[in-house]
Amino acid sequence: MYAKFYKYRWQYLMILPGVLLLLLFSYIPMAGIQVAFRDFQLGTSIWNSSWVGLGNFTFLQDPQFLTVVQNTLYISVLKFIFGFPAPILLALLINEVTRPVFKRFVQSVSYLPHFFSWIVVAYILQSFLTLDGGLVNQIIGKAGGEPVFFLGSTEWFRPMVILSSLWKETGWNTILYLAAITTIDPQLYESAKVEGAGKLAQIRHITIPGILPTISIVLILSIPSLITVGMDQIYPLMNSANQGVADVLDTYIIRNGLQQGYFGMATAVGLLSSLISLILVVSTNQLSRKINGEGLW
Amino acid sequence: MKLSRGETIAQYIIVVVLAGMCLSVLYPFLYMLAISLNDGASAAKGGVYLWPKNFTLINYEIVLGNEIIRQSYLITIARTVIGTFGGLIVTLLVAFGLSYRGLPLRSTILGYILLTMLFNGGLVPFYIQLNNLGLVNTFWVYIFPGLFSVWNMFVMLKFIQGIPEALIESAELDGAGPVRTLVQIVIPLSQPMLAALGLFTAVGHWNDWFAGAFFVTRQNLIPVQTFLQQLLAAQDLSAVLGSNTNQEALARSSQMQNITLMSIKMAVVMVSAIPILCVYPFLQKYFVKGVLVGSVKG
Repeated sequence: MYAKFYKYRWQYLMILPGVLLLLLFSYIPMAGIQVAFRDFQLGTSIWNSSWVGLGNFTFLQDPQFLTVVQNTLYISVLKFIFGFPAPILLALLINEVTRPVFKRFVQSVSYLPHFFSWIVVAYILQSFLTLDGGLVNQIIGKAGGEPVFFLGSTEWFRPMVILSSLWKETGWNTILYLAAITTIDPQLYESAKVEGAGKLAQIRHITIPGILPTISIVLILSIPSLITVGMDQIYPLMNSANQGVADVLDTYIIRNGLQQGYFGMATAVGLLSSLISLILVVSTNQLSRKINGEGLW
Repeated sequence: MKLSRGETIAQYIIVVVLAGMCLSVLYPFLYMLAISLNDGASAAKGGVYLWPKNFTLINYEIVLGNEIIRQSYLITIARTVIGTFGGLIVTLLVAFGLSYRGLPLRSTILGYILLTMLFNGGLVPFYIQLNNLGLVNTFWVYIFPGLFSVWNMFVMLKFIQGIPEALIESAELDGAGPVRTLVQIVIPLSQPMLAALGLFTAVGHWNDWFAGAFFVTRQNLIPVQTFLQQLLAAQDLSAVLGSNTNQEALARSSQMQNITLMSIKMAVVMVSAIPILCVYPFLQKYFVKGVLVGSVKG
């Protein structure tokens, strides 16, 4: 037994740093969830702070929390409705391009925004939408309209979030679909042509069925993210004017936990959302087993 | 291949739509570049669309002359380099170690690693742990928590398992231990994979503003993106014009009244975006491959 472990001593040595890092940054924080049930202050030990039972879960009665949950679901569902079909459409369009140079150019350009931070995207929005000299308000002004303060209004916040995430990620998300399209047997198209099928018929009867497995995998993988709206995107765009519609679970946790020091309460909110996303992931896996015959793990 | 009339028209429509998409991606950068190269006051009056009207380099002079911004650059470069190489080394080592199917406790260790992808303590316990470890308000808060990427490890593991076993076995027959096998066989064969994962890790470090905003309060530790995030909501120029060098630059040019917050902001954004724009074309062929390998289920 000992000899077997000794034989693999180098491998264990290689794995050790990773295992230790997980212990420090994943497992100990998991044990730290008990803060949700304790009265914890920064600078004291978790283990010495007193138990408060469900005292930290009073946020459930906070009307603001209900708004936060609604905002989170509203934005994530909207993002899903627009963000899911968009890359499929774009991939179908790119696939129809006959000139290889133009095709490569379109692909390169469409992947590009993925590599910029949400902060940069927020600046792009600001530069176009600002009241003094922003391009959009200049155009509105020339058309005789009243300038609109897009980034400081509750009506425009959601459209801006949806638009900017479409702008940033649609191209990048075509990669999987384009790869799936290339695995489709070209003979299928040839025989369809011989039988007189037009382009649209070919797309409907060959291309779309060909990428259907990819579509179902992407669909399944996107279910768990329905509860999390990227803090990354929301926080830079949030301000006091639009907070009513912009405040989501992540920003709520940060404001109450890291900024105002209600550690127990913010941990409790986080615990609840982790549990919901765990349930979503596990049931997604079951769903995937049913549809694809195999799970994600 | 001859196209029918309808197909030719469809081709034109597709080209126009896709060209429009490309324009919508590229134009914002050109627009921001034009504003950053334009005299701020005249830009605010409007009329700058593609080309600066009153060309000036003063915005860049102020941005590059500012000590706070220069310091944030150093922090960003340092964390990107150290974080990327360190991350690749740790992740590769774990993946290689776990690629030995005969390793005792292998599935237990894999389960321990996988569990962290399904459930985590959440932000607040994570922050408390960073605080307990003394990492808050140090440079290392950017490095240590992200050194081991579970996702990248699984991608890497899958890739290593795709290397023909005969290659590794013959090396072992020749007396090579695991370390030699790793250095002389696995690493050279994994270069495209390492390049792709390295690129994603590097972009992640370059673009991260979160750690700088919430785990660090000392101004001299703040990376560029966090600086940008703080500047985004700024109402006046004091955030960027606080330093002495700038006062001199301003006195020299005596253009203070022509500098606006917006033109300065655009210059800072361009300076943070240009490195990515420069590296991007060279790395493109790697990242597509990286995404595809990563998407294949293990």
